[in-house]
Amino acid sequence: MLRYALARVLATIPVVVLTSIIVFALMRMLPGDPITVLIGQAHVDVGEQQLVQMRKDLGLDQPVPIQYLHWIKRAVSGDFGRSVQSRQPVWDVLRPRILPTVQIGLTAWLLALVVGIPIGIATATSQNTWKDWAGSVGALIGAAMPYFLVGGLLIYFVALKWRLLPASGFVSPFVDFGASVRTTILPALTLALGLAAVITRQTRASFIDVMQRAFIKTARAKGLTEQRVVSRHAFKNAMLPVVTILGIQLATVFSGAVITETIFAVPGIGRLLVDSILSRDYPVVQAAVLFISLMVVAANLAVDILYGLLDPRIREA
Amino acid sequence: MTTTTADGLRRPGGSRRIGTRVKLAAQRFAANPMAVCGLALVVFEVGLALFAPVLPLPSPDDIDTLAMLAGPGGTHWLGTDDLGRDTLSRLLWGARVSLASSTCSVALALLVGVPLGLLSGYLGGMFDEVVMRILDSVMALPPLVLALTIAAVLGPGIVNGTLAIAIVAVPTFTRLIRGQVLSIKHDDYVAAARSIGATRRAIIFRHVLPNAINPVIVQAALGVGFAIITESSLSFIGLGAQPPTPSWGSMVQVGFQYLELAPLLALAPAAAIFVAVLGFNLLGEGLRDLLDPNARLR
Repeated sequence: MLRYALARVLATIPVVVLTSIIVFALMRMLPGDPITVLIGQAHVDVGEQQLVQMRKDLGLDQPVPIQYLHWIKRAVSGDFGRSVQSRQPVWDVLRPRILPTVQIGLTAWLLALVVGIPIGIATATSQNTWKDWAGSVGALIGAAMPYFLVGGLLIYFVALKWRLLPASGFVSPFVDFGASVRTTILPALTLALGLAAVITRQTRASFIDVMQRAFIKTARAKGLTEQRVVSRHAFKNAMLPVVTILGIQLATVFSGAVITETIFAVPGIGRLLVDSILSRDYPVVQAAVLFISLMVVAANLAVDILYGLLDPRIREA
Repeated sequence: MTTTTADGLRRPGGSRRIGTRVKLAAQRFAANPMAVCGLALVVFEVGLALFAPVLPLPSPDDIDTLAMLAGPGGTHWLGTDDLGRDTLSRLLWGARVSLASSTCSVALALLVGVPLGLLSGYLGGMFDEVVMRILDSVMALPPLVLALTIAAVLGPGIVNGTLAIAIVAVPTFTRLIRGQVLSIKHDDYVAAARSIGATRRAIIFRHVLPNAINPVIVQAALGVGFAIITESSLSFIGLGAQPPTPSWGSMVQVGFQYLELAPLLALAPAAAIFVAVLGFNLLGEGLRDLLDPNARLR
């Protein structure tokens, strides 16, 4: 198992490197010389001589691959440069944004799991009944609901009309736990609906497939109750494709965060990304995108390793 | 389409006349409730979008200074926005922008992704390896985050937004068709075509492509749904369609500022996005049942 996990970790290295190259390349393709952007923000007049010197100081006179190596060397040690907007080190801008995104994202993800898997199993084990029909139609509708609609309805009814929960903002759990929970519920629900819909559908499809296998027939033949057949024999096997989806969905959580954090005014990574793109604060954009892709890679790695734990066939292969 | 004949050989294309095959396909399509519902929703929205200029509605840019942020009713069925423009009219004109942008981005993604996947799968070797590694790392970024970044690089605007979505959608199509090609490139009819001296181009486009395309058609329908969501997200953030062009995403963005006063301003375009996405998703699922029955788990 340890060897399998190690092999998976090594396999992610090329992906991380390529992703960082893509992020770097995208930033270099941005309209405008980084120097002019910096100067434009500072509102100072500089001569040609100084421009050349600044280019040299920032390493911009060197070939692009060398610039990449310098950039990645500093990025590894947590130095992403300074924000053009706030003049703070980028890492100091990024760090306080992590907690809200992770807290809301994980809450949504767990919520989706707890709702999606049981509904998926219920619809699969009672195929072609009203339960199945309701679950499947619900999942189709949930998967097509944009965050705007879910979030808009929740804010309008729950926050504005019934005044049950705050419509926007975020409070850290270390400051006020109750308020933190209250500010987390609506954005987490908004994110969770789509996730739950996909999990429901994958669980249902996967269970229907597994329930037709020979080992299920054997389990039934030896007189086990249907509940035991499902919980002991079908569950672990049917969960494999679901685990894959769960990993992919961590990426969805970040995509979604861009929208939900804007709707609910949550000071997270998604909101930071949007704000820094709109204010052309490219060092921050770069760091935020790199951070998000590393989180996604880490999530996929965790899923791969979980896969190995669940299925001995995979770790032996 | 592959038909299995009595002698058990797989042959590309049936020998039946085209008219009969289309009729049979239409019958099977009509018997699939999901596909029919999806098609109905899609036709409904596309129809409204197409007929927006001839419907008896105020122009989407007409400003009714007497009715800013008006509720539904009277001359403005769905009310008006903060400048007094008719929401229903902007919704239908917005449908033109959103639907056109989404279908164009999927068409572009197909145009690049399908040939790339065909070549990658059929040629294999270094080419395949390089293409796949690049796609892997593109897919390590969440789709919306990547689309946002590309749109930021290209600059705001509906054309650039469409391009960004197309780039994000390419890997899905490439990987899908590559997988298909790998599974059929050693089939008898491909070997047969090769043995009679067909050129590589003829083999790829006349023999491999028609037999590998079904899952791609399904994915294209689902892809339009994804593109609608992504396009509206870009416009919502301000990187897609620019004012005063009406688009669903930018309407939602304005609407959220007045959610308490005029909830329909945000919720109506949000609902339009929902209906459009639901339509394309249902159509895709229905087509999957028809074209790709073994792949429901994918």
